[in-house]
Amino acid sequence: MMFAVRSATVRFGQTLALDNVTVEVPGGSVIAVVGGDGAGKSTLLRALAGEVRLDSGTIEAPSKQRLGYLPASAGSWAALTVTQNIDFVAGIYGLAGDELTARRAELLSRASLTSAAGRLAAQLSGGMRRKLGFVMAVVHRPALLILDEPSTGIDPVSRIDLWRLVSEAAASGAAILMSTTYLDEAERAARLVVLDSGKILVQGSYDQVRAGFTGVVAQTSEPVRSEWAWRRGRVQHEYWPGGDPPAGATVVVPDLEDIVTALALAQRNAVLS
Amino acid sequence: MTAVQLRARHVTRRFGTFTAVHDVSMAVQPGEVVGLLGANGAGKTTLIRMLLGLLPVTSGSVELLDGPPDRQRRRRLGYVPQGLGLYGDLTVRENLSFSAQAYGVAEPMLPPALAARAGALVRELPLGAQRQVAFLAALAHSPEVLVLDEPTSGVDVLASASLWDTIRAQADHGAGVLVTTHYMQEAQQCDRLLLMSNGQLVAEGSEADIIGSTTAVAVHASDWAQAFAALDAAGAAVMLAGRAIRVANACPAELQQVLNAAGIQASLEAVPATIEERMLVLARAMDTS
Amino acid sequence: MIVKEFRELIRDRRTLGLLIMMPLLLLVIFGYAANFYVSSLKTAVVGPQASQVAATLPPFFNVTTMQSSGNRADAATLLQDNKVDVALVTGQAPVLALVNGSNLFAAQSAVAALDKAGNRVKTQVLYNPGLKTSWVMVPAIIGLILTFIGTIITSIGMVREREAGTLEQLAVMPIKPSRVILGKIAPYFLIASVDMIIVTVLGIVLFGVPFRGNPLPFALGAAIFLFVTLGLGVFISTISQTAGQAIQTAFFFLLPQILLSGMIFPLEAMAAGVRWIGYLLPLTYFTMISQGIMLRGAPISSLWLPFVVLMAMAVVVFTGATLRFRRDLAPGGPPGTARKEPAAAEAVGTA
Repeated sequence: MMFAVRSATVRFGQTLALDNVTVEVPGGSVIAVVGGDGAGKSTLLRALAGEVRLDSGTIEAPSKQRLGYLPASAGSWAALTVTQNIDFVAGIYGLAGDELTARRAELLSRASLTSAAGRLAAQLSGGMRRKLGFVMAVVHRPALLILDEPSTGIDPVSRIDLWRLVSEAAASGAAILMSTTYLDEAERAARLVVLDSGKILVQGSYDQVRAGFTGVVAQTSEPVRSEWAWRRGRVQHEYWPGGDPPAGATVVVPDLEDIVTALALAQRNAVLS
Repeated sequence: MTAVQLRARHVTRRFGTFTAVHDVSMAVQPGEVVGLLGANGAGKTTLIRMLLGLLPVTSGSVELLDGPPDRQRRRRLGYVPQGLGLYGDLTVRENLSFSAQAYGVAEPMLPPALAARAGALVRELPLGAQRQVAFLAALAHSPEVLVLDEPTSGVDVLASASLWDTIRAQADHGAGVLVTTHYMQEAQQCDRLLLMSNGQLVAEGSEADIIGSTTAVAVHASDWAQAFAALDAAGAAVMLAGRAIRVANACPAELQQVLNAAGIQASLEAVPATIEERMLVLARAMDTS
Repeated sequence: MIVKEFRELIRDRRTLGLLIMMPLLLLVIFGYAANFYVSSLKTAVVGPQASQVAATLPPFFNVTTMQSSGNRADAATLLQDNKVDVALVTGQAPVLALVNGSNLFAAQSAVAALDKAGNRVKTQVLYNPGLKTSWVMVPAIIGLILTFIGTIITSIGMVREREAGTLEQLAVMPIKPSRVILGKIAPYFLIASVDMIIVTVLGIVLFGVPFRGNPLPFALGAAIFLFVTLGLGVFISTISQTAGQAIQTAFFFLLPQILLSGMIFPLEAMAAGVRWIGYLLPLTYFTMISQGIMLRGAPISSLWLPFVVLMAMAVVVFTGATLRFRRDLAPGGPPGTARKEPAAAEAVGTA
């Protein structure tokens, strides 16, 4: 089962939100999309979900019945309880009776929401509300699951819970496309896609991305070129695309955050020069 | 210059039968960046609102710049709430002009990237740029105290780094800064940390103080996903950092048993615990109680 | 602070429009429409001496129907069908003048004018013998309440989804836009129906307003009218981003209906230039139905015009609202555009 966005271009007025983007989402794997604000992550996800019309390109996606979507916003109805939210969505997908009761109990338990089943969605903490949104998106066992920044702004413990839910869904065969601002989550994905200004900077597994990364990242307290440097904790990291840092520079093994930032800077500086 | 910018003394806040904050005492000195950590619902926002005088205390006292948090003292305060407090349908320039006039100071200068978009409506800017504008508005009147609620949530690396540059600069100038955060990386940028759980102050001080006696074991397995699933099923306090599996407060021998039983090859190593592990332990304790 | 408010106001075109347009609208309406003075009365003359009597009538009485063979019953039918304001029955002395009490201002003018004829004419006011304002107003107010609930509350209800961001989710689910609309409207339909029954009963009990006609066509007319107002509510929600905007727009639709539907100022008295607006408003037609059935006991056959018009309005409004709503719910284009199911569909289950 393979879903995809192929050669997709989306324009909003003057802005080019997506520029000839191709991403394949195979069943059973998690594809993570990362990038800064305005990079096009949400647009890509919404295009695959059918929310946004393409100016050119094609989408390969299942019918609505087999699609699950968690938007960047709330994802649940504030004035309904946890149980009522799940029942409403399940009803639309055709789940009912004993099957619904069993499925709901199973999902609530996996998401650690059983004790909150009767609480209004508006009264849940951010992390619990997001987990509820996830449950609502998978209640009907979709073949394709699209999650827009599911863990942004959520406490670390709930983030692990969400990751657990996501990987269980993938293990059962769903194709999952998710966007995240947490690069350590992207590391765990089967493949990650780095977007910047609507273009794909690099795409591949974490190992592939690391192997394909050229240049050197040095740790310094006084960067030589400010347009190639950024703050990491109390120090600065500086990117040398040509692999030619000054002698005596402390070279570090770049993690994903370094790689993504370095690539974004390379893109921006190339545009400016 | 005051000795203490923000202080809470045995502050408690109740809403009906629910205690949101219980007997919390803390202080922020000039020139330091204090990080307020805690899960959602731990009481961070309630505490902040009391410190700012937006919410009355049920018992205890708060001080802002050596006195009660009245309007006069709030003039010397810069506050960026989670919702940013900007007017979406005004331009960048108009927002800054409004807040500058409200505080009676000159309009702040825009950095080049924002200057190019000074005429754009705020609601059309990406989140990172919006946060930058909110910061500028809060800093224009050179506040002595800065309170920031999740300043870089949802923002990419570059924008986040530049925001923290600004925060550091303010602290270096003598301001006392209080920041709430979920990001462990941000916690590391703070001079001092406060950890709240369930309305109470559970730990304070350096990163080591927050971590306390929590221990961690790193699990190196070829099939990390399987190892995670097996340990999780056994009820261990598992966390993931990238693909590295870490288990909090666990006995390595027991973990090895679980992995062996599942037929998973893995090596275990005791490692220094992180703040996230402490928070996980606290959360699990709350769940079971 | 002042500068900021002004800047925000200028960007808020809808509020600006309302602030400028509304006073202008009110001025125009009051100028041209506000008129209690009826300039002429539609008159019927029946009976053996019809033509002679007709000839002696002052021009104020505009004779539209003359039936020399008619009698009192025919005259009464003409009034019940609301075809004339006054019907004169000749063939006996004094001449009998039947006045249509459900057209209040026309009736008052008629009574005043007929008084001048003294003993030659015996005047009888049908349907509203006391010429009470409340008897004429209550049927109209029933319609007003339905309009209020229908338009304002429905528009807020739909906009709530948009504001909460949950509209997006509905859009990706396999639920048809028409079902979403129906699901959203049903509770308000129920509430409005209950409200209508309460108001009608109260009107009858408190003010003594009669209910002479058949309740079934009344209920039918109310239901169709409700559909129109609810459809308007849905339409307003598709053109509003926030609840505030929805209320403003609903108000903009509501105010002309109060003033121009014939509830306060009689339609016949309005200048022609403004009267046509009244004929575009759904409340005008429902008032015809409610007044006709409650006061005159009119049969449905004489009310065919308002029924047909309301049904047409319901169809138009609902179609428009559904089309716009569908656009909101399915921006990715109808299924099939650039979107295909991948080949080799296996049965896939997920956790």
